[in-house]
Amino acid sequence: MKQVLAYSLAGLLVFGAWALASLSLAWAKGRPILPYPWEAAVAAGENIGALLSAFGTSALRFLVALAVSFLLGLPLGLAAGFERKLDQFLSPLIYLLYPMPPVALLLFLYLAFGLGEVVRLVVVVMALFFQVVVAAHGAAKFISPTHIVAVRSAGASRWQLYWHVVIPATLPNVLTAARVSVGLGITMLYIAETKLGILLPPHQALGRFIEHYPLRGDIALAGVVALALLGLLFYVVLEVLERQLCRWKYVGVKGGS
Amino acid sequence: MIEVQAVSIVYRSGDEAVPAVDGVSFRVGEGEMVAVVGPSGCGKSSLLLAIDGLLRPTSGRVLIAGEEVQGVRRDVALILQDAGLLPWKTVRQNAELTLHIQKRRESADGILSALGLRGFEGRFPAELSEGMRRRVGIARALALRPRVLLMDEPMANLDSITRERIQNLILDLWWEMRFTGILVTHDIEEAVFLGQRIVVLSPRPARVREILENPGTGTPDYRGSPEFLAQAKALRRILEGNR
Repeated sequence: MKQVLAYSLAGLLVFGAWALASLSLAWAKGRPILPYPWEAAVAAGENIGALLSAFGTSALRFLVALAVSFLLGLPLGLAAGFERKLDQFLSPLIYLLYPMPPVALLLFLYLAFGLGEVVRLVVVVMALFFQVVVAAHGAAKFISPTHIVAVRSAGASRWQLYWHVVIPATLPNVLTAARVSVGLGITMLYIAETKLGILLPPHQALGRFIEHYPLRGDIALAGVVALALLGLLFYVVLEVLERQLCRWKYVGVKGGS
Repeated sequence: MIEVQAVSIVYRSGDEAVPAVDGVSFRVGEGEMVAVVGPSGCGKSSLLLAIDGLLRPTSGRVLIAGEEVQGVRRDVALILQDAGLLPWKTVRQNAELTLHIQKRRESADGILSALGLRGFEGRFPAELSEGMRRRVGIARALALRPRVLLMDEPMANLDSITRERIQNLILDLWWEMRFTGILVTHDIEEAVFLGQRIVVLSPRPARVREILENPGTGTPDYRGSPEFLAQAKALRRILEGNR
């Protein structure tokens, strides 16, 4: 409840700052530059159908990209961090590819995958995948040897070792990293939905929605707000997921009563 | 029951060979409790891991019940330093970890309540006191009803009252369950209190310095008796002679 209040307050603050920015820009330039928040709100109301549909499609697209990134990145990162032999081989590869911006490869991605749904997912996955890999790799390197001995001395198989130790030990770090990467992911989503989304109608992608009305700043801004809310939604979902899956991290040290 | 035969363990660190254990031999009879003492970092824990089958000796071998140890055995349980609990598992999940991994259907209920942990089954280790955590570690080992119990400094880093309580607890459990025990420790009083025989190791690489008979052990009253103090003094002299 307290958090809801804090978020509402932050929302009000952002709207206030936005209104102030619109006002001072209009005053400085002598003409309206940045539409006021209430104008964007009215525009959102007028286009609510298209906006909601664009929000839903973009959310689904982001969710799929996030899931694919986890599915591919988690096993690779954990194995690379935990299996020393694999680490020697994979680490240089990962860290060489990690800083490469997928945006720079848009042309080739387009040539390779065309302009369909696949290429948009590929762009977002390329960005998120490495975030997951690097976080999982780092976390898996620092697993306490005692925890490993505890499970190995029970006669655990390799798979059981991963299930009982490697995955739960690294999950908090991986989920935190995923949460932090939401911002980057949303940026990539926007790029994918605009540069590689020109064939999409505005109600099938927030990025397209924002760019579809070049002369209507109020509608575009309504789309930007929706995009920000999309990021917030995933941020909150990942945080709730972490609190549920890593409950042990949040129990207080109460001593033995 | 347990025969350690000329076990040597050499670690490789880069191109260097670092000997940790050098030709250690001793035997432990069925139902006997033997303490292995040596200075910190002398290679005691490596020796224990070799007996548990987690570490292959560079040379020599370990026999349990007449069979050479090739890997983890189901009738052997290990209690780790600082209990080795998994922080993401509850008390019950930790206590039943080995049962679960070995796909055994027994529960840890009996041993948990015997160790005073009833009502705490759903707690995470972070919510327990250090003494309770150690008891969960003991419960995890004893839930297996092992024939052999290996203990790696189970009382290290405990305050003295808790340490004595856990020592008494292990003594009780030993009388009740009649397992064969090896207790690795660097604590002189602890070795004298619990070990029917005491294997004294040298500093790294560990070699057997002496094997001390300690027939007085077996009751809580032994602690503090003149005989106990004399044994502790003798053991201290042997250990200090190493330096």
